[in-house]
Amino acid sequence: MIPKENVFGEFVREKRLALHKEDKNYSLRKVAMRIQVEPSYLSKVERGEQPPPSEAKIVLLAEDLGEDKDVLLALSGKVSSDIQEVIRKRPALFAQLIRDLKDMPDNAVLRIIREVRDGNW
Amino acid sequence: MIELMNDSLCFSFPQVHPDAKLEISFIRTLRIPDDGAAYPDPPRLGAFPMVHVDDYENSVPAQWLEWGGVMLPMYQSEALLVQFGFGKTRYPFAVKLAAGKINALTGDAWSNDLTPYPQDYAVSPPQEEISGYCVGRGVVRQFIAMPLGLGSTAEEQLADNPKYGGVQVCAYPMKAEEFERFSKSPDEFEVMSGVNEEQAPFHAKMGLGLGGLLGQDVKLDPFGYDVWDRQNRSRCFVHLTDSALWTAVTGQDPPAAPPRAMHYNLAGLPYHEEIYAPTPVHEGSRILGKLRTIEAQAGD
Repeated sequence: MIPKENVFGEFVREKRLALHKEDKNYSLRKVAMRIQVEPSYLSKVERGEQPPPSEAKIVLLAEDLGEDKDVLLALSGKVSSDIQEVIRKRPALFAQLIRDLKDMPDNAVLRIIREVRDGNW
Repeated sequence: MIELMNDSLCFSFPQVHPDAKLEISFIRTLRIPDDGAAYPDPPRLGAFPMVHVDDYENSVPAQWLEWGGVMLPMYQSEALLVQFGFGKTRYPFAVKLAAGKINALTGDAWSNDLTPYPQDYAVSPPQEEISGYCVGRGVVRQFIAMPLGLGSTAEEQLADNPKYGGVQVCAYPMKAEEFERFSKSPDEFEVMSGVNEEQAPFHAKMGLGLGGLLGQDVKLDPFGYDVWDRQNRSRCFVHLTDSALWTAVTGQDPPAAPPRAMHYNLAGLPYHEEIYAPTPVHEGSRILGKLRTIEAQAGD
């Protein structure tokens, strides 16, 4: 199913064109070649005429464009398989956690990142 | 703060600057001969795995919980190097490194602050790794895992009450305003590099003993002591476990077997020379230079 809003395709196109201004290696054809898809397919994805590609291709695209893979996956409506695996182990706990974090500001979310604890030595 | 990600300690200081990030990994390497010759960098065998000691609070020694940090498994006589990873912005850090709370650059006992003379910290970037105790200009003695109790570690040879073992690291970011100044006019710091050169004429539980000599420059601070944000620091105790303790604590086998003869046979050829930048280098520690190596002790 193609998302009503083409946020993924528009984001990819915007980032690719910005890079292409500085570096001709970011043409549609060359990016498509590096992530091993047809240029016509990538063009349709950018225009929202095709749904976003597979997780593996999105990860390759993120690496090629220098973007965060989790951001691209989220824009495509996907969750990376490693995160899915984490959630599957304790689904109720993580579902509750994510709901609780929904409206929390970034700095508060950062505070719950697990830190390596320093002790008394 | 420090996070443990992909077997690296990821230091970040968002309160100082969004780009203030540094990764520190501990890399397995082959042990080089201790025959008086200075060897080039030996081949690497990947990063040691690390886990939070807090995840094993019921099975690690109680003392480790008090000291906090992470732990990693090493076989006796295995060699280790400390590798620094920095992002595209190359945000500079001053990094103190110790084994058994003995500073690996100076041989002095651990302190939480930076000391400019003799310089008791590395600066990364440009420093990409440290493979051992800094015992002279352009040479280090390889870090070799040894059990505490044999008298082989630097800590046991220098400290009055050796008890810590492990590795200790502490990172201090460059002050944000200095980084911004550096980013806008990097040439200014090249001038400072010369100034600094004049200022620095010298330069069960396991610990780290002294192995063979490796050719490696520990570069002097090219930025100057005042650029470091000493109010913002993060430090970590890295406990070293032997394979038996690792298995007892985690319930898992150590992920990698010790290096075999094959690795060493192969290593006869693939040593690679590092091309050193012409940055002034640390003179090494006269204290550490006088310590006895594992090989020398075995000959007694």
